[in-house]
Amino acid sequence: MPTVKLFTKQQCPRCPQAKQLCSGLEQDACSVVSYDVETADGLAEAAFFGVQATPTIIVEDDAENVVAEFRGQVPAREELLKAIGVR
Amino acid sequence: MGSVIDLQARQKPEQKISETTDLALNVRTSSEDMTGWDRQKIVVALVRETGLDQQTAEDISLDVEAVIKKADIKCITAPLIREIVDSKLIERGLEDARKKHTRLGVPIYDVDQLILHPNKENANVPHGPEATNLTLAEGIKKEYALLRVFSPEIGDAHMRGDIHLHDLGFIDRPYCSGQSLEYIKRFGLSLPNSLSIAKPAKQPEVLLAHMVKFAAALQSHFAGAIGWDAVNLFFAPYLEGRSDREVRQLAQMMVYEFSQQAVARGGQAIFTDINLYWEVPKHFENVPAIGPGGVFTGRTYGDYEKEAQRFVWFLFDVYREGDGTGRPFFFPKPLVHITEKFFRTEGHQEFLEHICDVASEKGTTYFVFDRGETAKISECCRLSFKLNDNDLNDAKEPWKMRFCALQNVTVNLPRLAYKNMGDEQKLFNSLTSMVELAVKAHLEKKRFIESLLALGETGPLAMLTMKTDGQPYIRMHRASYLIGMVGLNEMVKAFTGEELNESKRALKFGLKVISHMNLECQRLSEKHTMHFVLEQTPAESTSYRFARLDLRDYGEIARQYVRGTIDSGEIYYTNSTCLPVSSRENPIERVKSEGLFHPIIEAGSITHIWLGESKPSKQSLANFVVKVFRETLNDQIAFSPEFTNCLQCGRTVRGLLDACPCCGGQEIDGITRITGYFTKVSGWNKGKLAELKERNKNRGFFARTQTGSA
Repeated sequence: MPTVKLFTKQQCPRCPQAKQLCSGLEQDACSVVSYDVETADGLAEAAFFGVQATPTIIVEDDAENVVAEFRGQVPAREELLKAIGVR
Repeated sequence: MGSVIDLQARQKPEQKISETTDLALNVRTSSEDMTGWDRQKIVVALVRETGLDQQTAEDISLDVEAVIKKADIKCITAPLIREIVDSKLIERGLEDARKKHTRLGVPIYDVDQLILHPNKENANVPHGPEATNLTLAEGIKKEYALLRVFSPEIGDAHMRGDIHLHDLGFIDRPYCSGQSLEYIKRFGLSLPNSLSIAKPAKQPEVLLAHMVKFAAALQSHFAGAIGWDAVNLFFAPYLEGRSDREVRQLAQMMVYEFSQQAVARGGQAIFTDINLYWEVPKHFENVPAIGPGGVFTGRTYGDYEKEAQRFVWFLFDVYREGDGTGRPFFFPKPLVHITEKFFRTEGHQEFLEHICDVASEKGTTYFVFDRGETAKISECCRLSFKLNDNDLNDAKEPWKMRFCALQNVTVNLPRLAYKNMGDEQKLFNSLTSMVELAVKAHLEKKRFIESLLALGETGPLAMLTMKTDGQPYIRMHRASYLIGMVGLNEMVKAFTGEELNESKRALKFGLKVISHMNLECQRLSEKHTMHFVLEQTPAESTSYRFARLDLRDYGEIARQYVRGTIDSGEIYYTNSTCLPVSSRENPIERVKSEGLFHPIIEAGSITHIWLGESKPSKQSLANFVVKVFRETLNDQIAFSPEFTNCLQCGRTVRGLLDACPCCGGQEIDGITRITGYFTKVSGWNKGKLAELKERNKNRGFFARTQTGSA
């Protein structure tokens, strides 16, 4: 199952929209993990993926390969679903 | 300083021996004169220096007199009397008074050693009388700092090796700084206590002379590096109408003037960084240019691109040639900024290959990557200041662009793992405590420096308080306070069982440690309204010191993780957040992995690519540099070849060799990069020598790249 990694922070105007998008994903289609980049765990994960802006969404496949990334932007729902592999 | 004394105990028969005046001794004091014995001097000193009451001071002085009388000694020094007083203070449990009364000094054995043998704590300190002076003064100021500037909590943490307070021997100065040539172009050279005042330079050669003298004056006021921003651009208005030959000559003068300044403080070359650009940086494009005589030329720096390019090209011609024997120049370090605009500027490919040619040939070039809208001024081994909105506003009047870091405090990361094995929560709590301790050390140093600055133009830091442009030269409200780290790799290995490059899990754990430190810096910056930032510690001697102290205090466990050879004492920890120097991944992978840490280390990072004896083509290095800019987040890279310079035939050849391949001579100097600068290997400490043995020299990688097979 693919993993959707969502990177957000508090003072970020577009982060609520990204959170809403990810929370609406089918739970059996992917697992969603949220990272607050103002915590050590979140910032470390962001550094690992070179995340420089929020919100950022990174999609990994089962083997932890990055298959899609949306940096500093909120994709359309269809675009994200396509990246996850949901038709 | 006091020296050996003849003390003649001349008793006057008509007086009782128990009276002070009975001991009509001659004591040679530290002011190099002979004084008669006067017990009251002990009393006065005790009352004045320690605040003891008169009676206690009298009693102690009598005790001391009794000791001297009983010893029946023929020679005495004032320092010895002071030590006897101190021992009496200890006997009475007056520890606070003893600390106030203590004497700072150096055992004669140590002075012998210093005079006879080179100092290996800093490979940029040569061996000679000036260097000895520097080391002796540093020794006393270190003791002073630990006793008077820092609280016992901080001093003890440094002594134990939990943290390292850098440049304690320069306690009465800020750490390092970044300058703008525009300051001396506009205001000339006018320094407190100088015998003459120079108006703004009218000729480029004079501007260079002002720059060198100002740098030397700054070296006397800062502990570390002196960086200069956009040097080729700010020289450009002086170069119009000058022939190529003249500009090339000026470039040669600049490099030689800075590289041969080993006649200044402590015989040290001024640790100088010059920031260089092929393009005109965006933030200077529309800034009015200052020309000869300190007069605005009526044009902006955007109009001087060609002159700036001509100068920087010739500078690298000089670097490529090397010194009179073909060795690389150690200083000034040229830091070339690679930006998006660089790639849009005509001639960039030829220039990139030119500086890569120098990187391959001599290793001199530093490549600083300013991606997106980032602008930086770099100095020291890797320290850089990212320019914020206020700084960019200052750029309109570039003489205001003066930056400094007040101090650097480094955290011993492996020790935290040893103390908290298996308990992550405890580990991170300890890390928080260490960052807080570093911040406390910064607050204490800041208080001390502010007390010196408050003395104004009659104080020791008068130069930093001069208000030529309306505000003090040192802008304390914009100062940074550095927090460094050593041995992340060994910490991660001790805690997770794997080195940073051995698994994604280990790498992510390392990133979490640095992220935690970064967030703590942010939290404490807000709390104290100061600017605490992480920097990769160069750790020329700190990684060796921490490894030694950990072996001493955490021997059982530390033996498993310190690097090098324990039996010979050649041990070290991996610098800052770097991967182990011996790891075998190809250089681009190293640059990528190490670069993951760079965005969360705000005050500067670097990746070194060791070349050994290989000499890649300029094209392969240029491709590599572009790849690093486009595909990684790495802040800065440098390529480090190795050289052998024969002292007998004078030739310089590639590689670190045991003998000269040309004449067979055995008197040779090995030369390569120690941390952020080139120096002779013979001056390295044991820790760095151990590291050198283990460095992966990337043999063959660039050759393969050149033929397209990598």
